[in-house]
Amino acid sequence: MSITPLRPRTGPNSPDGPPVRLVTPGAQESIGMLDDNALFRTVVMPYIDEAYRLARWLTGNGTDAEDVVQDASVRAFRAIRSYAGGNPRAWLLSIVRNTAYSWLRKNRPATIVSVDDLEAVELEHGRLDERHDETPESSLIAKVDAEQLRAAIAKLPAAFRETLVLRDIEGLDYREIAEATEVPIGTVMSRLARARRRLLETLRQDD
Amino acid sequence: MSRPRSDDNSVLLVHAYLDGELDPANALSVAQQMSQEPALAAEAERVKELQKLIHDRLPREAAPPGLRARIESSVGGTRRERAKPSWLALAASIVLAAMVAGTSTWLVVDSRQQPMQVAELLVSDHIRSLMAPEPVDVVSSDRHTVKPWFNGRISNSPRVVDLARNDFPLIGGRVDVLGRTPVSTLVYRRAKHLISLTAVPADGAPALNGGPRSINGYNIVRWSENGVNYWAISDVEPKELELFAQLFRSSQNEL
Repeated sequence: MSITPLRPRTGPNSPDGPPVRLVTPGAQESIGMLDDNALFRTVVMPYIDEAYRLARWLTGNGTDAEDVVQDASVRAFRAIRSYAGGNPRAWLLSIVRNTAYSWLRKNRPATIVSVDDLEAVELEHGRLDERHDETPESSLIAKVDAEQLRAAIAKLPAAFRETLVLRDIEGLDYREIAEATEVPIGTVMSRLARARRRLLETLRQDD
Repeated sequence: MSRPRSDDNSVLLVHAYLDGELDPANALSVAQQMSQEPALAAEAERVKELQKLIHDRLPREAAPPGLRARIESSVGGTRRERAKPSWLALAASIVLAAMVAGTSTWLVVDSRQQPMQVAELLVSDHIRSLMAPEPVDVVSSDRHTVKPWFNGRISNSPRVVDLARNDFPLIGGRVDVLGRTPVSTLVYRRAKHLISLTAVPADGAPALNGGPRSINGYNIVRWSENGVNYWAISDVEPKELELFAQLFRSSQNEL
């Protein structure tokens, strides 16, 4: 798949610099000066809401999400030295995501879709894609309420769901999503396009 | 009308365009493609509808009360550590907070900063943006793209209004740094001139008075609204900049 180059990141999340340079010389060293608790409070604690929401979308309910976030926080604390001064939100969310999936494998093995299954899903969806469709969207989805929307997102395969949630609910950019979900940006892009189409399809069928 | 497949490159680029992920040249070419291919324009409409639906129906809920406390106690030691601060660690955590500020933390703008200093800094940011390869970090004329882009970069997502009808089209946004505080700057265009509009949270400080009307030939219009100080900076005529400020202030169409 050939992707026209995305714009280079020049924002504060960029490891490569201008125009906004928030990483002052010496900031790297200052990580070394912090004890684990201080580092944890600065890197992890500000993102507990985001962590909880992602865990909730992945596990499907608030109680499990709390367990996952608590578990993920412990893992983050143990791994805090591996945080290398990059994007703390994407770093934490990738831990939350991995924790959620191992939690699901252990407690809800039926809900886990393997990568092979996902490929089958994508193929099937590729066929869905070619359907002709001229229905204007606005009239249909204007009637969708929060519950229907939440249920439709919950029905998405996990790889699509997490990508859509991180982009359209949490507002992460593609690079952060790639980091959090540990896939290349090209994969983020195709999953996002498919997730959105699939979601629209479900909402239309619900109508 | 047959729908292009979702793995079609042009479809992915339409999504990337709406997400503010394209560089200006590619954004322009995608916009042109959309104007020529109804299927792509329809895709864009559907995605925008969907994003609006998600935005309207699914507010982002906070973690349940008590979760943070449980986390602190499960990693242990945090309370003890707080009771007996290490000044070195504290100083370092301030440096680190400044470092991660770009992604979440909102550092309070020094309220002692005088209007003149703020104006100087913002005019410098404006000039720097004109000299940079591009004046914005997110390129989009769609406020539904620009506003969410600030989420996670700064904690207060700015008010973004569409003034294209009044010939002040939105170009995009960027994060400027005022002192050590990241602030949101929207960039609008008037003919061939760019207008930088920076929102600086007042954090309870009394509204600023005075301040320069122009620096180095750049005109400045400033106002305060809902606890936010707005600074509009541009080389357009002062009257035009005043008009822009009036339009922005009277605009209700945030959503």
